[in-house]
Amino acid sequence: MPEALNGEEYDATQLPDYLRLYYKRLFPHKQFYRWLSYNLSEDGIFTHREFSFTMQDDIYIRYLSFENQSEMEKEICAKIPHKIDIGAVFNIRPKNHRSNPNIKPMQRELVFDIDLTDYDNVRTCCNEANICNKCWKFMAVACKVIDIALRDDFGFEHILWVFSGRRGVHCWVCDKTARHLDTKGRGAIADYLQLSMSGGENSVSKVTLFDKQHHSIRRARSIIEPLFNEIIIDDQNAFGSATGTERLLKMVPDENCRKELQNLFSTTIADSKSIWSTFVGYFESMRVKSQLKPKLRHIIEEVQLAMLYPRLDINVSKGTNHLLKAPFCVHPKTGKICVPFNPNLATKFDPTTVPKVNLLLNEIDTFDQKNTDATETPEDKASRVKDFKKTSMFKSTVIFEEFIRKLEQSTKAQAITVSDKRMEF
Amino acid sequence: MDFPKRSKIKPLKTPDEESIDRFAPHNCMFYIVPPQNDVSLKDFEELAIERLKLLRILEQAGLKYPKILSDEWKEHIINELNLEGLKYFVRLIKGNGNTDQDKQSRRRDYLSHFILRFAYCRSEELRRWFMAREMELFRFKFSALSSSEIKDFIEIYEMGYRPINDEQKNEIRQELQNMVTGSVDNVDFYKVNFLSVLDLVRQRKCFLKGGYAYVSSMDFSSIIGGHHQKFIEKGLMSHLKLLPEFENDERIVGIIKGLHTSYVGKDYTVNKEADIPIESLNQLSLKSYPLCMRMCHDSLRTTHHLKHGGRIQYGLFLKGIGVTLEDSLRFWREEFTKNIEPDKFDKTYAYGIRYNYGKEGSRTNWSPYSCMKVINTAPNPQDIHGCPFKLWDTIELRSKLTTYGLNAMAVQDVVSYASKGHFQLACGRYFEAVHETKLDEGITHPNAYFEYSQIIMGNRLAKEKSTPTSQQSNFNNRKQVQMNKQQEFKRKMDARIKEEHDFDEELWKLSQHEEELLTQWKARQDATQTEISQIASMDWNDDNENVEDMSQIANYL
Repeated sequence: MPEALNGEEYDATQLPDYLRLYYKRLFPHKQFYRWLSYNLSEDGIFTHREFSFTMQDDIYIRYLSFENQSEMEKEICAKIPHKIDIGAVFNIRPKNHRSNPNIKPMQRELVFDIDLTDYDNVRTCCNEANICNKCWKFMAVACKVIDIALRDDFGFEHILWVFSGRRGVHCWVCDKTARHLDTKGRGAIADYLQLSMSGGENSVSKVTLFDKQHHSIRRARSIIEPLFNEIIIDDQNAFGSATGTERLLKMVPDENCRKELQNLFSTTIADSKSIWSTFVGYFESMRVKSQLKPKLRHIIEEVQLAMLYPRLDINVSKGTNHLLKAPFCVHPKTGKICVPFNPNLATKFDPTTVPKVNLLLNEIDTFDQKNTDATETPEDKASRVKDFKKTSMFKSTVIFEEFIRKLEQSTKAQAITVSDKRMEF
Repeated sequence: MDFPKRSKIKPLKTPDEESIDRFAPHNCMFYIVPPQNDVSLKDFEELAIERLKLLRILEQAGLKYPKILSDEWKEHIINELNLEGLKYFVRLIKGNGNTDQDKQSRRRDYLSHFILRFAYCRSEELRRWFMAREMELFRFKFSALSSSEIKDFIEIYEMGYRPINDEQKNEIRQELQNMVTGSVDNVDFYKVNFLSVLDLVRQRKCFLKGGYAYVSSMDFSSIIGGHHQKFIEKGLMSHLKLLPEFENDERIVGIIKGLHTSYVGKDYTVNKEADIPIESLNQLSLKSYPLCMRMCHDSLRTTHHLKHGGRIQYGLFLKGIGVTLEDSLRFWREEFTKNIEPDKFDKTYAYGIRYNYGKEGSRTNWSPYSCMKVINTAPNPQDIHGCPFKLWDTIELRSKLTTYGLNAMAVQDVVSYASKGHFQLACGRYFEAVHETKLDEGITHPNAYFEYSQIIMGNRLAKEKSTPTSQQSNFNNRKQVQMNKQQEFKRKMDARIKEEHDFDEELWKLSQHEEELLTQWKARQDATQTEISQIASMDWNDDNENVEDMSQIANYL
């Protein structure tokens, strides 16, 4: 149990105390500001941004906005929100929204939200809010498929992937084009990335493929197919139960084939590997005998995609005004930090060992005890070792900083023109 | 307004037709430069109404077949255009051509578009409606163009799109091949920013690389459509600026001002088919009234009053369904005098009712409000009239529909259409839920709603069939209706003979109209024959009890 390895359990009732220290010592205010100020490359890009705080008992405070980093930092440390959400950049200061009814969003990162609960009908290891390394593989696949599409197809570069603290991931696309997309553009991209799966709740997901497949679909297949055996057959043992095989059969859109397969399955050993190879073998032999109906021509690929293709919550992506939890928040239920991770190494990311707020605070204490000399004499903040560097949050902060560095390079040119403009009289 | 149907395209009476051709160079065209020509007032009006009819046909087609550019959608439009005698539009949506006929058609298309801009630039709502219809028309036209016609089009408008060369093509040959049937070599591809082809991106219909979309000439309409939309958007705004100058000319204002809310479908001004006794209104309101009218009726019955806007909306509707002026006066008086003195009613309100029937003031025989008119009226908070699907919030609508006995699914259906702004679709769903049947037509007029309902319930057609035995409880009622109808018609005729000096013409028109309607009824009769026989066998009283039962059950839920 990873929980046991970490030694100390997280106690949600102590959250306010943890948070007070966390915001004071660990939360990367500076980086946070550097990210959202985008080099001040556009007017009001930071000051007109909406923040929302969730306080105790799910009380929301919306339409907060801050003048600069120190005001933001002061507010966060004073209010100690359980959760911070990031909204859009508006045409006016959001905090003045009451006096101005014409408030409208001007820009907003393109965001994606993928949640493991949407995979509940294909994952057998956990359900609902739980997560283990096996289910994380679904997220890793999703992350890979979406990330490559955003970069190669749309040419986006500044993409931040964040673990959402419990069982999902958030993706922030911060390129200028992405931030300035209107609702229609966001909807189009979301639909492009989404594979329509017929069948609603509790029914079987079904993907339909045609002979001519879009390059993004073929690319997704090349990512998914090599992983199918590992994830679906070995880890999830998805067809090892009666419900599992039933679900597989339901994906076959042909009555006769279903019956024949059912008979075959009844004589097969009920483990996923045998069932799947029977399934594949059945259609392969049909193909060889050229008895395969056109609608069944891609059945294998269809099943693979239906089970592993990313399941996006596209409503989050479509709106320009949707609030999304900020990186480096503490998930109130798990105590885990919403840390950024590297999408290329998504498979290596371990959601169960994500640093928890209580442990991080312990780590600082331990570090400080070891270096008592340094803390004995109060020194300048600047010369002190940055607190986050003393903890296991260090790695994710580096990823975040690297993301910001590249982002700043791209916004620099623009920042110059904006400041030039301000000089004019 | 009646226009004779034409098979030939009528030339316009403008001195310099040829100059128009410069601005309308292709059957599928952008409307960029406004016309500089003289157009006769008659042509002006005619063109306006013809294009309005076209746009209405597009709207109807969209309501019936939501999939734009589907075969049924196209077929429906072409049939309707032919029916309306708008053959020249049919010509324009069948590819490019350069015959005289094409040129004539293009001129009408070009001029009529710019005329309607004046009528549709006034408000955001009107602009959006107009844009949506014009885009549908454009997409229809563009979809008919061949690859070379598209190339012509791009050249004519100097759009600067050039197909990618073979070298570029070869680099991504495999990916492009997946986009088209047949060989890549026979198709031109264009490279554009993905933002200008969002529709294609959404459907994964173009190859994307590094933020650029590679689009085949077949799918190019998405890009061109984007330009078209911008031209019209800008055009509407500049027309808006011109409007004050334009409005000095009363003749033109008269034509364009009420155009959108004018109704080009069937005329309900004078109802000659039916005669509705006011005693049956309560019962009729349960099923045959659209929600907007039912609200007026219910409110009138409970509060014994209706504000001005409501009196006009509901009063004209009553006229349309066949309540005579005398009955109407009696109906309103009975209700109003529960609160006020009869004397006051006669002084204050009777005038308005006679006015509706064209007996006072300008003596215009006012037409009942169409859906457009109802939807576009802006009632005050205490008013009852207007389109409930537009005006009410979701919760209010939901609870009202539930108390009216609609089941949860139907309520959800109606509410979801209404909340998306499809008020007439919502109304159609409401109709289907109330009548437990499918409705082929879209609802565009409250009186049409009433008529469809009566047909489905067998009331209107049953008259000719005269089979009252199966509907005993309604028998007396109907008999009275029949008698009333005959008497009324005779009485009306008599009155006319006395009153109108141009009676002959009136009567001729009337009888002709009657004949036309009769043939229409016949056609419908066949279509709904089976339904009628089913419904005719139903017990009427039971039916009503059901409605009541359901609403009672709904109250307990």
